[in-house]
Amino acid sequence: MIKANEEGKISKTSENMVKKMEINAREKSNVIIFDIEGEIRRSNLTDVTLHQLVKDQLDDGKRNILLNFRNVEFIDSFGVGEILASYISTHNIGGKLKIAKISKKLFVIFQVTMLTKVLEIFDDEDVALNSYFID
Amino acid sequence: MAKNRPYKILSRIIEIKPGEKNISLLLFFYFFLIMAPYYIIKPVRDAQYLIVKGSKELPIAYLLTALTMVFFVAFYSKLQIKVQRHVLIISSLIFFISTCFLSGLFFRKGLPWMPLVFWIWANIFIVVLVTQFWILVNDIFNPREAKRLIGFFGSGGILGGVFGGLLTGFLGFNFPDYLLFIAAGMLIISVFIVNYIFIWQRKRISTEDRAKKKDDGNKERAPKVGFKDCFDTVRRNYYLKLLAAVVTITFVVSTLIDWQYKSVIDIEIHANDKTTFFGYFHAAMLVIPFFVQLLMTSSLIKRFGIRFALLVYPLILLICSLGIAAYPILIFAVIIKGSDKSLSFSLNQSVRELLYIPISSEFKYKAKIFIDMFLNRFAKGIGALILLIFIFLNLNWQARVQVVSAIIVVFILAWAFLNLKVSKEYTNIVKQKLEMKWERADRLVAEKVDLNYTKLVFDTLESKNRSSVLYTMHLFDLIKQDKLTSEVKKLISYKSDEVRVSSLGALFEGGETSLGPETDDYISEEVLEKEVKEIISLDVYQKVMENYFEKVLVDESKEAETAKMEAAKAIGMMESHSPLAQKLEEFLRDESPEVSRYAIESAAKLRKREHVPALIQKLHSPFTREDASAALEKYGSRVTGTLADYLGDSEEDIELRKGAASVLARIGTQEAADFLAWVLTEDKGDIDIELIDALDRIRSERPDVQFQEGIVTTKIAELIKKHFQILIDFYDSKLMEKKQKMSENLPKNLTVSFMNIFKLLGLIYPHKDINKAYQNIRTGTKESMAYAVELLDNTLQKEIKDVIFPLVEELPIEERVKRFRGLLKRLPIL
Repeated sequence: MIKANEEGKISKTSENMVKKMEINAREKSNVIIFDIEGEIRRSNLTDVTLHQLVKDQLDDGKRNILLNFRNVEFIDSFGVGEILASYISTHNIGGKLKIAKISKKLFVIFQVTMLTKVLEIFDDEDVALNSYFID
Repeated sequence: MAKNRPYKILSRIIEIKPGEKNISLLLFFYFFLIMAPYYIIKPVRDAQYLIVKGSKELPIAYLLTALTMVFFVAFYSKLQIKVQRHVLIISSLIFFISTCFLSGLFFRKGLPWMPLVFWIWANIFIVVLVTQFWILVNDIFNPREAKRLIGFFGSGGILGGVFGGLLTGFLGFNFPDYLLFIAAGMLIISVFIVNYIFIWQRKRISTEDRAKKKDDGNKERAPKVGFKDCFDTVRRNYYLKLLAAVVTITFVVSTLIDWQYKSVIDIEIHANDKTTFFGYFHAAMLVIPFFVQLLMTSSLIKRFGIRFALLVYPLILLICSLGIAAYPILIFAVIIKGSDKSLSFSLNQSVRELLYIPISSEFKYKAKIFIDMFLNRFAKGIGALILLIFIFLNLNWQARVQVVSAIIVVFILAWAFLNLKVSKEYTNIVKQKLEMKWERADRLVAEKVDLNYTKLVFDTLESKNRSSVLYTMHLFDLIKQDKLTSEVKKLISYKSDEVRVSSLGALFEGGETSLGPETDDYISEEVLEKEVKEIISLDVYQKVMENYFEKVLVDESKEAETAKMEAAKAIGMMESHSPLAQKLEEFLRDESPEVSRYAIESAAKLRKREHVPALIQKLHSPFTREDASAALEKYGSRVTGTLADYLGDSEEDIELRKGAASVLARIGTQEAADFLAWVLTEDKGDIDIELIDALDRIRSERPDVQFQEGIVTTKIAELIKKHFQILIDFYDSKLMEKKQKMSENLPKNLTVSFMNIFKLLGLIYPHKDINKAYQNIRTGTKESMAYAVELLDNTLQKEIKDVIFPLVEELPIEERVKRFRGLLKRLPIL
């Protein structure tokens, strides 16, 4: 089991800006799933960044990371940097970082900016989880 | 306890692991029971032939054997299409048992054609049974297992040879028929052993492996093809062609040596003593190789590698050939034949079988049929043709021996050259067996994603609801970079942030949309860029805006943040010498990450030296680190020295130092690599992970950058020592509580140090090979792990291998700790 506080949350929330960002972590089928809510923006900072949370899991020996974007409204360039840094840290040690349930709008932006060339994105969480063991 | 005693004794001599004892012993006795009969048959064959035909007719026997082998191999290759492997091996044994018995009966009748027929039969006997034995060994073991155990199996064969030879010497010339009956009796026992081996093999295959083996079984049947396919397989494969060439030369040389030896024996030993002499000689000449095989072959191959082991045999024969050329007498004949015989059945046989192991099953069986069954006898035919020439030359036997020696020397030189090529190609084949499981992702991201463009698109979208000024500035950047494509225009014109669009098509199907404030005038992108540049470079603009900038800078209200962001970004559009650009330092120091982020971006555009310290300070925070790194990377080699100063200062903030290491990796010049390596040697080890990762990144992206071997080796030794100590401390810890606490971090610590050791190895050895080995050792199957270790065995220098192998080889923790302790005590490198 991964470490979490009493509410099962492993990061603080920030309420001072547009929409609070909250990241909950859970483990399923040997994959760490980060359920992200709100907006990943520089202006929406928490004490711990997404990349740091991912690195903590990698340090604990986890190798499969799934970012669940079901409740993510928007990300800015800082958010992109966080996702890519997490992707690089995970893949550099032979792990896999994937994204699930991204909004259509974000998906389009990811496509236009060619992020889909490196990031594996799935509509469905279960399909994403299965993909770790098919590759 | 008593039951384990033989195993304990055995494991002291050979590196035998649990689960390998039974199969090792079965294979040992299987080979013993093939070779013992052969060393009974062989002296009978030689003596009977020399007595009836004489040494002059030896080339005819060689030649006829070669010709017969062509037809036999064609027949055998067809036979194995129809028969399963275990049936084929047992049927072959039964065939040779019955024909051996019949030969004994025919010898009693003294038939004149019998010596020649028996000669050919004996050759088919040894070729078929030995090839079948080694194919079975190849099926069962991977290269690492084979390297450890091959000496043991081989010694079984040699011991069989000693036993057969001594028995023949003891019973002698008077009882050739009885000798053959005894040989047939031994072969009968081998049938039961082979049967046990196949039962063991079937039991070993787990349920999971059955599917794989079923597949292998299909492969096993698939290569059972005709002689031409076997020939074509070798002809089309460079490595197999080299192996074929080596085997051909080996057997040509061996035939020439055999002729030299027998020519001397024919003159110097009396006819009635020949069988006894051959029997004792064969036995005596196998005693030494038995010990060589049992005690030295595996350790020699493991210690010095395949390349060295491949050269020992030809070089010793080269010396012996020169000896017999100088002194064609009995003692030199015995020495050269003894060397050839002992090394060919010990070291050479073992190394040759190892060379087959990395080849795919399909190729291996085809190649072994062609090379080991046909080509080696065919090579003897070539040797015979060379010798036939001397029959027609008017030379005495001593002169013939000397001329043959000269020919042998020429062949041996070619042989040694080909062996070097084979060992090189062997390493390539091992490499091909390993797949690269992952590449460094930073390179992949850099290749596939235009990060500046991506960020710009996101910034444009983000700024749309925040500030029309920022939004327009971003659009202006997109125009300047020629990235404002129709797709991007539609994307950033999309208004609803809330509603999820139903499809990509729906988003792009809308008509032309406005990007900014409505205006009746059409402004071309080129004109816009030109006009903006002109305006901001005006002195009056600079003067007027200076007041505005100062006002914004002193405003501490929350609302002023957007104005600061706009101002910070605007500076990036200006010339570096413009008065307003001097204000950038203040924006860089702003507490708001949003403001400082735009200031960092502008600093990257202006690339002024005075902003470097502020940018480096921004490496401390995770919220500005990536932007600061990207900005400093744009400065390139101009800032490597400054970054190195921060990096090497152990009093400096650790996160900042880690960031500096990352920037130097992104800059990736030789100078950056040198600074990183220098700090690695000087530092206390707080940021080793980041320094080593930075060096690894440079190595993966810039193969031209050089790393000082001494520095890297020293660091490897330091890390290995730490790695050893972590495990020893854990193992020695008596207190359960302490052990429990240590075990929490143990896997992580060992994983990290293991990864770092390999990253460092990748700096001084081929990076891709080391990565392949690391990835397969960490995450591969048992098979791929064995090949990974084999690759390291053929890549690393001996001193490094000695300390790396206890880390990578599969060992119980007790054994690993024992080896670590031993290495810490005796190795100077540690």
